Formats: sequence, C-alpha cells, structure tokens
Amino acid sequence: MTAALEIISQRNGLPSICGRICSAPCETACILNDEESPIGIRALERYASDHGRPKPSRREVVARRGKRIAIVGSGPAGLSAARDLARWGYQVTVFEAFDRPGGVLRYGIPEYRIPEKVLDLEIEEMVFLGVTFENNCAIGHTRSIDELKAEGFSAILVATGAGIPKFMDIPGANLGGVFYGEEFLIRVNQRRETAASDMFPFGNKVVIIGSGNTALDCARVSVRLQRHTTLVCRKTLDEMRVRNSDRDFARDEGVAFEPLVQPVEIVPSEDGHVMGLKCVRLDYADENSTGTWSLIPVPHSEFVIEADTLVIAIGHQPNVSVGKLRRKLKTNEDGTLMVDPKTGMTSTRGIFAAGNVVTHAGPVVSAIASGQRSAEHVHQYLSK
Amino acid sequence: MFKIINKQILTKNIKRLDIVAPRIAEKVLPGQFVNIRPGATDETIPLTVIDTDQAKGTITVIVREVGSTSRVLASKGINDKVASILGPLGMPAQIKKKGVVVCIATGIGSAQILPMCRALRSVGNKVVGIIGAKTKRAVLMEAQMRLACNKLLIATEDGTYERRGMATDILSDLMERDTIHQVNAIGSADMMSSVCKITKRKRIKTFVQLNPVMIDCLGMCGSCRVVVSGKTVLACKDGPEFDGHRVDFENYKIRLKAFEEQKWDSPRAQSSHGKNESKTLTKLFSGILKS
Repeated sequence: MTAALEIISQRNGLPSICGRICSAPCETACILNDEESPIGIRALERYASDHGRPKPSRREVVARRGKRIAIVGSGPAGLSAARDLARWGYQVTVFEAFDRPGGVLRYGIPEYRIPEKVLDLEIEEMVFLGVTFENNCAIGHTRSIDELKAEGFSAILVATGAGIPKFMDIPGANLGGVFYGEEFLIRVNQRRETAASDMFPFGNKVVIIGSGNTALDCARVSVRLQRHTTLVCRKTLDEMRVRNSDRDFARDEGVAFEPLVQPVEIVPSEDGHVMGLKCVRLDYADENSTGTWSLIPVPHSEFVIEADTLVIAIGHQPNVSVGKLRRKLKTNEDGTLMVDPKTGMTSTRGIFAAGNVVTHAGPVVSAIASGQRSAEHVHQYLSK
Repeated sequence: MFKIINKQILTKNIKRLDIVAPRIAEKVLPGQFVNIRPGATDETIPLTVIDTDQAKGTITVIVREVGSTSRVLASKGINDKVASILGPLGMPAQIKKKGVVVCIATGIGSAQILPMCRALRSVGNKVVGIIGAKTKRAVLMEAQMRLACNKLLIATEDGTYERRGMATDILSDLMERDTIHQVNAIGSADMMSSVCKITKRKRIKTFVQLNPVMIDCLGMCGSCRVVVSGKTVLACKDGPEFDGHRVDFENYKIRLKAFEEQKWDSPRAQSSHGKNESKTLTKLFSGILKS
C-alpha cells in the first residue's frame, strides 16, 4: 500500500484530499464506462492514502538548494505547490491569514467531506519535508510582497484563491437571515469547535440557492443540523455542477430539490428578516424558432418558498487584495491575476500565481493541479 | 500566541487591553482594525486599534462585552495570552489637511476615533472633538481625547457632565457658529445617520466608520456587506470608513440586526421535520417501546 501511495504521490500532492473530494473527471472519462462501471480511482486513492501512509519522519528531508520561496495562501494550490517545491529542495514558507493552515480545505469545506485529522496529517507531512507555515499573516496587510522580496525570497507564489462571494442582485439580498455560502460554512466549521456548538444563528427552514459544490455542501450541512432544507437552482438536476452520487446522497439525507427555478425576490418580514423566497419556474423554449433552446420563465408560475434562512452560493470572485494593496499586479477584466501561460509568472518578475486567483473558479482538484504546474514554473525560473 | 501586558477597566463592561503584536504595531494606521481570536476554540472578534507603542511593540484595543467571545477576551488578565491576532485590516482612514475637522463619537466610538483625531491634528487640521454618552461614567478616553483634539466638547444624556443632550446637538450648534470643513463620525447607526443628515444640508464632507458583523475580515464571508452609492461593498475590505452621504443607513441598520440569534428557535426546540428528523438509536428504541 505504501508503494501504491508513493506512485500516486508522484503525480498528486494531496492524495487524501483528492481521494475524498475530487470531482473525478478521470472516472467520467474511463473507457470502462461503456461496459460496466469505471475504475473507482477516487476510492482507490483514498484507500491508499488512508492505509499506506508511513509514519512521517525527518528522514525524508532532502538536500537544500538554499533558495527561499514564499507561498501566499495555504489552500489546495498553495499546499500542493509547497509540497513539490520542498521535495525539490527549496526552503518553502507558506503564509496563511488564518490561525491554522488549510485555507478553503479547513474553513470552506465541511468536516464530513474533509475530516480535520486528514488535513492535519497532510500538513504534518509537509512540515517534516521542511515547509514552514507562518499563520496569522495576511500578505498585503501584515506584510507586503515588497517586504517578502526584501527578506530574501527568490520567488513568490500567490495562491489566495477565489474567496470573495459573488453577490446576488435581487431585492432583499441584504436582509437578516441571508448568508453567502462561505459565511454559512465558516460559521458552522468554527462553531463546531466551540462549547456552544448547538447554537447556530440559522433558522429551521433553510433555502439554498446555487447549483455547485458549495451549494450542495451548504445543503448537506444544513440538513445534518436538522434543518428543513430546500435547494433551488436554475438548472436541471443533471446539469448541476456536482457529482451525481453526491447529489443523490443529499437527497437521501433529506435535502429537497427545486430545479429549474429562478429566484426573483427575497420576501422580508416586518423586522427586516427573510420570510420567504419568491421564485418563478423556468423551462426550455425555442422562443424565436431559431433552433436555439434557452431557459425562459414560465408565465404565471410564481410561487413563494417559506424560509427563515437563505444561503446564496452562486459563485466566487478572486481574492486579489495582495495586488491591490501593495505592488500593482495586473489583473484581467474578471478580476483574476494576469499570468503568462508559458512561464506562470504574473506581470511582475519573480511573482507567480496559481489556483483560483488565476482561473476564477474551479474544483479543488484543478487548484491542486494548478499549484503543481506553478511549482514547476517556479523551479524552471529558479534553475535558470 | 500574543501576550497581554496591560489591562484597564474603563467601565463595568468595557476593558482596554495592551497586547504585544510588534508586526501589527509597526504597520497599523488610523481607522484600521485587527481580528482577534481569544482562545484556540473561540470565534474571532474585530476590534479597532486605538493606539500603538512602537517601543514595546504593543497594540491597544477596547473590548465591550456584548457576546460570548468578547466576554472571554475581556476576562483575560495581564500576562494571559490570546490565540491569534490578524491585521492590520481594512483601509486606513483618509487623513488630509482640510482646515477645521469635527470628530464626533458616541459610546465605544469615542475610543475608536482617538487615533483619527491624533492623525488629523498632526497634518495641520484644527480638530474639534465631540463625545456623546449616556452618563458621566460612560464617557470614555476623555483625557486622551483632550490631548488629541484642539477642543473637546462633551454631551451627556442625563446632564451629569458638561452639556445635557445629544452629541449631534453640539454639532448642529457648532455648524451654526463656525465653518467646518470635514466631519468624522463613529457611533451607532442612528447617530451617524443623523450626523450625515445635518452635514448634508451644508454639504460638509462626512466620513463614517461602519462596524457591521464580520467573520473572517478578509472579504471571504460577505457578512459585512453594506450598500454605498447603491453598490454592495464589504466593510472589511473596502472600509470600514466610507463617505457618509453615500451610505444606505437603512440597509446598514438591517445588517446590524441580521444576527440577533433570538430571532430563531433553538435547534433543539424545533419540532420534527419528517424525513429530516435524525434517526438515532434512542429514537428507534423509544418507537419500539411505544408500539
């Protein structure tokens, strides 16, 4: 099993994380899909990482190259890049704004999908590889990128993720009881650790808006907190950007789905709290008889879902406060950092970027892959 | 871990803490805040940095006991440690030479406005401070404010100290008598809204500091969203200082009330929800026994 994990680890920096939450595009592409079922690559990866992990030891420490690399952000992209660069002998320091490393893996993904112990084990292994974690340090606030350069870091990799929620522009979006997906998950993840873990500031009738993994995570967390949970989305169930099995689990757990529904207005109560969600049903139609079928509202199909808590999980925007506050890193129109695809470098020499701060949004597995690619780019840059 | 090296009890439920955080002390500017987690398993609480000591490497914060986290932090004593401090966060206040600047604050705001008064005076403004409080005992940081401002005026609601009335009454009188070039206000939503209404008539530039509920303080949670100039912005990232005449105070008041937990039933008190009811062994056995 240890040998299997070693082979997996050559290509994947975070096997125990991928083995749990990867969207597994490899299984979708598997040629065995035509015959029976695909090879359960995700499950195999998880099994190997859970059972084949040797006890971390300092024996793994490799010869140091003497070059220091700063990684800003300890989410999936930052961690995977840190691991590869440490293996290649660089002195890697990861700067994390929160008090513990892990980023979205710790605070934005529910415990039932990534148990804290699993994440801690991955991080512990990196510490044994020689990676230094500096917590409570938000680059752009506590220290600037210029200061990092002055401190002697030869390269800097920005992997701050896409943490800013995309705001929903419907009446009532700022009412009491309206949360964004990240806030909902952060609150639950933080409160679980406290003594008052049964006190969550959420009502009993929770409606989630969204069709991605964050929305489904919120729905499953909500139903596990014994809330009556409904998930509304503009897509059909099959079009949701989640694994079918995850969606089916959510349904089995008690999440009610309202597909092909467009939220129109959040109904307020007298004291400024959410009371319901007014929606309209959608259907595919070929309005102009051009052969292009698009979703349009069904006439007279308005209805109100009763709710005392509403969670909006419709996407993210990149978190580029690093660039805004200090050295001007060029950004694209959508707010992502501008990166040369060949070198992985931003508009400033020696500063690289990886993960959702570059790709806008994507699953964790893409961020991990992006981190690994960027690690190679940094290695090439420093080997010149 | 960050060590508390000094503590002062200002009122029954307001404490002042000096905490060693040299990196933050070196960087923090007026108007910025830090996010403090008192213990490893506590939630975080955002607090404005009201003073720094470069020699000792300390930051000074004022804690008002309102919830469980602030109570934990306020209960800490000298030599105790806090688990984490992140900062400095938020955009610094705009400090420019304008002429006569009125800094008006109520409640704990009179501590938060102190660094701004100092900074505004240091660039050559004539700073007039106005503090509003319910009683004489509730007047905070009076001595420091007297030193920081060219002139300090105080109003107490019960008339136990200096003028009886509201801080906004003093502002109105002042505006009648003198020329004012800028107003900075920190306090309750009602007070800041009133200040903006008064200053708008005379088109006096007014900055307010918004303190909605924040969780991560880096813009990730979206909890501190407020509407400014008709656009949703984040107080932790784009603020906390905003042009008061552009702030939608009605929306801000809704956001401040958004987290009143008593609005919701305790999950334990809730009734069953059919499929969502947890299927525990105890419930299974009690069902068998009943049948």
